[in-house]
Amino acid sequence: MPNAATAPLASATAHRPSRLLRALRRPTTGIATLAVVLHLLMAATAPLWVPHDTSAMLDSPLAPPGAEFWFGTDLLGRDYFSRIVSGGQVALLVAALGVAGALAIGTLIGLACGYLRGAADEAVGRLVDALMAIPEFLLISILVLAFGKSLPALAAVVALVYVAGVVRVVRARTIALAAQDFVRAAELRGEPRLATLLRELLPNLLPLLAVEAPVRISAAVLRISALSFLGLGISPPTPDWGLMVQEAMTVILTDPWLLLFPAAMLSSFVVAVNFAVDGFAAAYGLRGEAGA
Amino acid sequence: MTLLRVEGLVVAYRDPAGGERRAVDGVSFTLARGGALGIVGESGCGKSTLARALLAHGRPGSRFTAGQVLLDGTDILAATPAERTRLRGRRVALVPQNPLQALTPHLTIGAQLQEVLARHRGLRGTALRTAMLDLLAAMQIADPATLAARYPHEASGGQRQRVVIAAAVAGEPDLLVLDEPTTALDKSTEAQVLALVQAQQARTGCALVYVSHDLRTIAATCQEILVMHGGRVVERGTADEVLTSPREPYTRNLVGALPQLAPRPARQAPPLPLLEAQGLGFAYTRPRALPFLPRRPGPAALDAIGFTLAPGRTLGVVGESGSGKSTLGGLVCGLLAGHAGALRFDNAALGGAARHRPLALRRRVQMIFQDPAASLNPRHRVLDLVARAFTAYHALPAATARTRAEALLAGIGIGAELLRRMPGELSGGQQQRVAIARAFAAEPELVVCDEITSALDVTIQAQVLDVMRNMQRDRGVAYLFISHDLAVVSEMADDILVLHHGRIRALGPAAEVLGAPADAYTRALVAAFSSRRAAAPTPVPIPA
Repeated sequence: MPNAATAPLASATAHRPSRLLRALRRPTTGIATLAVVLHLLMAATAPLWVPHDTSAMLDSPLAPPGAEFWFGTDLLGRDYFSRIVSGGQVALLVAALGVAGALAIGTLIGLACGYLRGAADEAVGRLVDALMAIPEFLLISILVLAFGKSLPALAAVVALVYVAGVVRVVRARTIALAAQDFVRAAELRGEPRLATLLRELLPNLLPLLAVEAPVRISAAVLRISALSFLGLGISPPTPDWGLMVQEAMTVILTDPWLLLFPAAMLSSFVVAVNFAVDGFAAAYGLRGEAGA
Repeated sequence: MTLLRVEGLVVAYRDPAGGERRAVDGVSFTLARGGALGIVGESGCGKSTLARALLAHGRPGSRFTAGQVLLDGTDILAATPAERTRLRGRRVALVPQNPLQALTPHLTIGAQLQEVLARHRGLRGTALRTAMLDLLAAMQIADPATLAARYPHEASGGQRQRVVIAAAVAGEPDLLVLDEPTTALDKSTEAQVLALVQAQQARTGCALVYVSHDLRTIAATCQEILVMHGGRVVERGTADEVLTSPREPYTRNLVGALPQLAPRPARQAPPLPLLEAQGLGFAYTRPRALPFLPRRPGPAALDAIGFTLAPGRTLGVVGESGSGKSTLGGLVCGLLAGHAGALRFDNAALGGAARHRPLALRRRVQMIFQDPAASLNPRHRVLDLVARAFTAYHALPAATARTRAEALLAGIGIGAELLRRMPGELSGGQQQRVAIARAFAAEPELVVCDEITSALDVTIQAQVLDVMRNMQRDRGVAYLFISHDLAVVSEMADDILVLHHGRIRALGPAAEVLGAPADAYTRALVAAFSSRRAAAPTPVPIPA
C-alpha cells in the first residue's frame, strides 16, 4: 500500500478521458459539475441576456412573480430574475481573484519554507499560526474596514486571509516531497535551489492546488456574501446574493420568496462545487490531497 | 483436521475501462489446524489480495465474485459485517507488510497493544498493562517497558515488526496471515523475526499463511507452498518439491532467479585506485537539546574506515541497517558533508556537499537510489528524466539530449513506447532501469548503488543486476555496491567490505571474505544466509 507521500501522483494523468468520464458518470458528481458549469456560464454571460436592466425601477415594489417579471420585483421595484441571475458575478470574480493571489503567493512561500527550512521557515510558521489564530471573519471585517470596499481591496483582503492556510498546506506537502530521493537526485546534479523548487517540487503540488483552488473559491464566495449581508462587502446597487438576502430580511414574513431565491443560488453553488471536487478528487486518486 | 478451506475463490477489481480484472482467479486450497502454508509469487500476482480475502477483507474497488472461504466449515465471505469484525483478530489475524503504516503514529506502542488486548481479552487497569508487557516480552523484546513508552517512529524496523506480530497474536487467533512481514528488514533481523513467528506458532498452535515474494523465507517457514501467477495457483507442493524439482516453467524461473552465494571470479586489479579512503569517519549531529544551543556530534556512524576501489571494479559494502553503509555512499557522492580522515577520488580530495563540488566531479560520481518510485520525479516523463541528465552534465541542446537519452534507454530495454510515460506508469524493474539510465547519462567513472535491488522482485532483481554488469563491462565504470543482501553483493562484487556499527569487520576479495571469514560477525552473516540456503537447496538449471 503506497503511503500518501509516495503514491504515484503521475498515475492521475494516465487515461485522462476515461477517468473524466467515469467521474461524470457518477450521478452526484455529474449533477454537481453541471450545476457548477451553469453557475459559471450564468455569471459570465448574464449581462448579454437578462430580460431587464438590473438597477432600473420598473414596476411597483414587491410585485409577485408573473409573466413579465418571472421572479417578481424587489423592494425598489427592480426585476428580481435579472438581479438573481447577475447576483453571483461580482462575488465570484472577487473570490477567484483573491484565491488566485493567495495560491500564487502562498505556494511560493510554502514551497520555499518547506524545502529550505531554517530560521525563515520558523518565522513564517509563527506568523501563519498568528494569522490563523485570529477568527477568519473578524480578520476580514477589520481588513475591510481598513482598506475599504472597492473590488481590488476586497480581492486583496480575500488573498490575505487565505494565504496563511495555503502556506501551511503547501509547506506540509513540500516537506514530505523534499524527503524523497528525486530531490536528492536533483541536488546531486547540482541543480540550483530555485530550479529544484520549480522543476522538481512544484509539479508535484499541482494535484493539491487543483483541489485547493475550487474549494477555497467556494468558501470565499460564501464569506464575501456574508460580508455583503453585514454591509461590509459589495455595495448597492450592484446585484449580489448576500445583499439581496439582507434586503429580503425586512420582508421575510410577507414575501419569503425574496429570501428564497438568493439563498438557493448561493447554497447550490457552494454545495455543487464541493460535490464536484470530491467526485473528481476520488476519480483522480487525489482524496486527502487537501482539506477538501 | 482442516481449519481453512478455500474453494474456487475469485476476487475481481473494477477496471477503469469498465470491465473487471480478476486479481484472484479460482484459487482453492486447504490448511490443517496448526499447519503452515506459503504463498509465493511476484508483485501483482494476487497474493496480497488472497491474503486479505482470508479475513473477508477486500481492498477498495474489489469484490468477491465467486467461491468460498470456509473457516471451520463456515463461509466467512457470507458473514455479516458485524460477524466479520468479531472474526478478525480473534479467529484470523493479519500481520501487514509495512509496520510503520500499520501502527498509529501518535499513540505509544504500549497504548496500541493495550487497546488490542482490552478488545480481545477484556482486560482493564494493571492486568492490562501486565499483559501488554508480557506480550512484548514474549516477542523477545529485551526491555518491554521502554519500548512500550516509545512511539512507532522511535522504534527500529525489527522492533516495529515484532510489535505488529504481537498485536496480531494478542487475540490468540487460530489463523495468522503474514503479508510480506520481513520484506523491509535486513537479513539477520529477518532471521530473528522468522524464528519468532515459528516460536509463536509453537506456543499458540495457530496455523500460518505466509505470503512473500521471497522463496527463501517461505521455504524456511512453511511445509507446503503455493506458487501464484496472474491470480492462479500454478504449482503446489512441499517446500522441498517446489525448490528442488519445480514442474512449471514459471516456478523454475522463480527458483532460478534466486541469487547464489557464489563469488564472481577474481579479476586482475588495475594498479591505481579510483576511490581511496583512509581513516574515514563521520558522525551525524544530534538534534539541539534547546533552541540556540550549539549542535553536538552524535556517535560515530563511520569510524576510521579505509579501503581502495580500482577503476572498473566493484566494491560490495555489506551490513545491517545502521551499519553505516548508506552513510559511506552519501559521503562519496556528496549527499553528506563533513567527514573526518581522508577520502580521495582519482588522486584528488573528495568531500563536501554536491552543490559545492565542480560540475566535472559531480558528473564523474553518480548515484542510484534504493526505491526508483521515490528517486524518479513522479511528474516528469521518462524521456525528460534522462534527457535532463544530458543537459545538466554535458550542456547539450534539448533536441540532442533527447536523442541521446532515447538511445541510452533503448540500450537497456526501455523502448520508444515507454518514453512518454510517467514513472508511475512503469513497473518497478522498468523504473529502476530508467534510474540506471539517468546515472549513466552522466558518463560516470564511479556509481554508488545504494540497495538498488532491494525494492524489486527476485526475477526483476536478476534483470537489473544483468543490466548493471553489462554497463560495467561496456563502460568500465567502478561500482560502490551497497546492499544488505549478501547474495546480491557476492554476485556483483570483486571485493567485499563488511561494516558493523560503523567499523570494518572484513575487507578483501569476495571469495576470501565469504569463503573463509576470519571475523565472527562476518561468519554469523554468512551462516545466517547459508542456513536459509540449506532449506532451499541448489536450484535446478533452467532448460533452454
